[in-house]
Amino acid sequence: MTMFHFFNCAILTFGPHAVYYSATPLSEYDTLGTSIKAALVYLGTALVKLVCLATFLKVSENDSFDPYQELLKALIGFIDVAGLYFALTQLTHRNISQNHKYQAVGLGWAFADSVLHRLAPLWVGARGLEFTWDFILQGLEANANLVFSISLAALGSLMWLRKNKPKTLIPIIYACAGIVATMPSITSYLRKGLGWHFPKVVGFELFTSLVMAFISWQLFSACQRPSS
Amino acid sequence: MSSKNPRERQMLESIYSMIALVFILVTCVDLCDAATVVDVYRLIQYDISGVPFGSRFATLNHHAGSLHFAPGADLSRTVLVIPVRELNITFVKEYISQRKPLGGLLFLLPQMFNFGNREAATEGKYQIREKELMKTVLAELERLLIHANIPYPVYFAFEDDDIDAVLADVKRSDVSGQPATATTGGYKLVVSAPEPKKIVSPSITNIQGWLPGLKADGDPNQLPTIAIVASYDTFGTAPALSVGSDSNGSGVVALLELARLFSLLYSNPKTRGRYNLLFGLTSGGPYNYNGTHKWLRSFDQRQRESIDYAICLNSIGSWDNELWIHVSKPPENAFIKQIFEGFSTVAEELGFEVGLKHKKINISNPRVAWEHEQFSKLRVTAATLSELSAAPELLESTGGLSDSRHFINETAIVRSIKLVAESIARHIYGRQGKNIQIFADNTSLAVNSPYIRSWVDLLSKTPRVAPFLSKNDPFVTALKKELEDHTREVNVHHEVLDGMFTLYDSTKAKLNIYQVASVTFDLLLLLVLGSYLITLFTFLVITTRGLDDLISLFRRPPSRKVKTA
Repeated sequence: MTMFHFFNCAILTFGPHAVYYSATPLSEYDTLGTSIKAALVYLGTALVKLVCLATFLKVSENDSFDPYQELLKALIGFIDVAGLYFALTQLTHRNISQNHKYQAVGLGWAFADSVLHRLAPLWVGARGLEFTWDFILQGLEANANLVFSISLAALGSLMWLRKNKPKTLIPIIYACAGIVATMPSITSYLRKGLGWHFPKVVGFELFTSLVMAFISWQLFSACQRPSS
Repeated sequence: MSSKNPRERQMLESIYSMIALVFILVTCVDLCDAATVVDVYRLIQYDISGVPFGSRFATLNHHAGSLHFAPGADLSRTVLVIPVRELNITFVKEYISQRKPLGGLLFLLPQMFNFGNREAATEGKYQIREKELMKTVLAELERLLIHANIPYPVYFAFEDDDIDAVLADVKRSDVSGQPATATTGGYKLVVSAPEPKKIVSPSITNIQGWLPGLKADGDPNQLPTIAIVASYDTFGTAPALSVGSDSNGSGVVALLELARLFSLLYSNPKTRGRYNLLFGLTSGGPYNYNGTHKWLRSFDQRQRESIDYAICLNSIGSWDNELWIHVSKPPENAFIKQIFEGFSTVAEELGFEVGLKHKKINISNPRVAWEHEQFSKLRVTAATLSELSAAPELLESTGGLSDSRHFINETAIVRSIKLVAESIARHIYGRQGKNIQIFADNTSLAVNSPYIRSWVDLLSKTPRVAPFLSKNDPFVTALKKELEDHTREVNVHHEVLDGMFTLYDSTKAKLNIYQVASVTFDLLLLLVLGSYLITLFTFLVITTRGLDDLISLFRRPPSRKVKTA
């Protein structure tokens, strides 16, 4: 029954992406091309990040939280943000409204992230006889990651694509974007520095993803009011 | 066309680098399969003249169960995990003799029998009584398992934290009435071992060392010889664990020490005796002393006739006050009388007793209980010195699981060596009955205890079942080198074990313990995920496209019909 378990975990990890694409108007406007381009940009960003990590980071013997290493990892994590900027602004998209552009980019980004980070462990591990909760938790983490990516793409599109923003909201937008961008460092601090177990970390991620999604939704609709 | 090619090449290159990247990322994945991997040792599988004994299978792939199973439960797909400490021998006897179907058996031995693990083996956690109890339990279990024909795999493992935790879990679920099968969760024990094959022409190796005596000038006659013989191989329930510290590790150590002492004496021509000394380390002991038989046949008639007498050493490591000399010639025989008197005088001086036991040889019976019987069959006077008072049965006292380092008494070995050395030396130098100690303590000829201890330690860590020792086995080479140090001429004879005994390989394996989830769990999970995705879908449709769109998803076909009409 292990292929069965693999199938279950796979639909938990990748199902929401497909559901998001088909449920929202994205499917009607055929934004698949944008998502694919965003996924490719993510691949490129991941390669650049790997090279930087290999060059600048040193391998630590124990699993403790080293602030300098984590700071370095966070700085390298901003390459993610740069990649997202590139995907949102520099690529040529078909004539789709800004509303759908950030969703498509966020979806493609999150899908590439899930495939790269979670498909291989799933294929190798979930098919074995041994049962662990890890793969189900990983799937939940992928869901949280989807929400994070879409929120980050929304905030990114607010920051770089929208010209007329209410002055008061600009610092909030940048603050939220900063929090979402440094989410990986926060989770690794929780895991290594505070010693939280995987289920607790995943719960925290899900909760914050919903909170950030709500905040970015409010910001987005607030910014949309002057133009409409 | 030419402009397309560089672009195509570029695309191909980027694709290759992408694939390379994917491979790199894949290799970063932590490959972890089973939660626990344990070394296990299989029960011996052998045939005597075609009659099968022991465990006939090696592959294992069943759920784990404990002794707390519900009575009447079907155990044909369960592996019973039994710690030897809680062993109920009648239960096992019942299961095996009634040939009840079982998926497999896994016995857990206390760490004190683990010779590979130095800290655990020397732990003084166990009191003497517990050790003795464990020894008797194990001996009984061994006797049962060796003589039974078991149609499922039987393995031995050592207790450690992982496996103890697994067993505790299994016990808990068994007690609560939920047996582990395919539909409920539990632990699965998997051993993937190849099909056990017969060992074709198993080789047994005899090593002999020759220490020549002082031949007087002008004496044409050949010097008489005294032989000291010990068999060094073992046979036990788990061949990978049969170290046989007492049977016959003690004999081997004694022989090596005697060789050392006499080589010291014989190194100086002034103290060289007028007897040759022949030291023989024979193999094939448990199989009716097959190796000794072949070794003696390799001598020619003259050499055999020159042997005055032979002393065979068998299990001299754990006695307190009494040793036995076993003979096959009647005790009234002059030679036997002389030998026995020599030995008992020395024993009296050393403070213990030596008894004489006579067992007639039955030529029609192929069973050879003592090594000296092989000598007696060729009319060479011989006797066996042993702590056992009765002749062991076939495949008994051959160094099984219960024969471990803990039950050996080094002083017993030292005293036995002193006994044999003094008796033989007095015979050689004609000093019988005189109160002279040749190998006295605190002299250069004293028995060397550290030497004995180091060899006993080595022997207690080396499993020595003969068919599994190859011709160039490092242990055999070590014995040969040691004899070369002490004697003048060393010969190694390789023989093939006689066809009556056939052994099968596959003695060690790795056991993987998987914690498996049941099918119902996955079905439930599928249900939960299905409902989650459907909820997500409806939520997204409602929030982004509106409730009407959701309803229209289900109503579209009828509206189309209306349109065409």
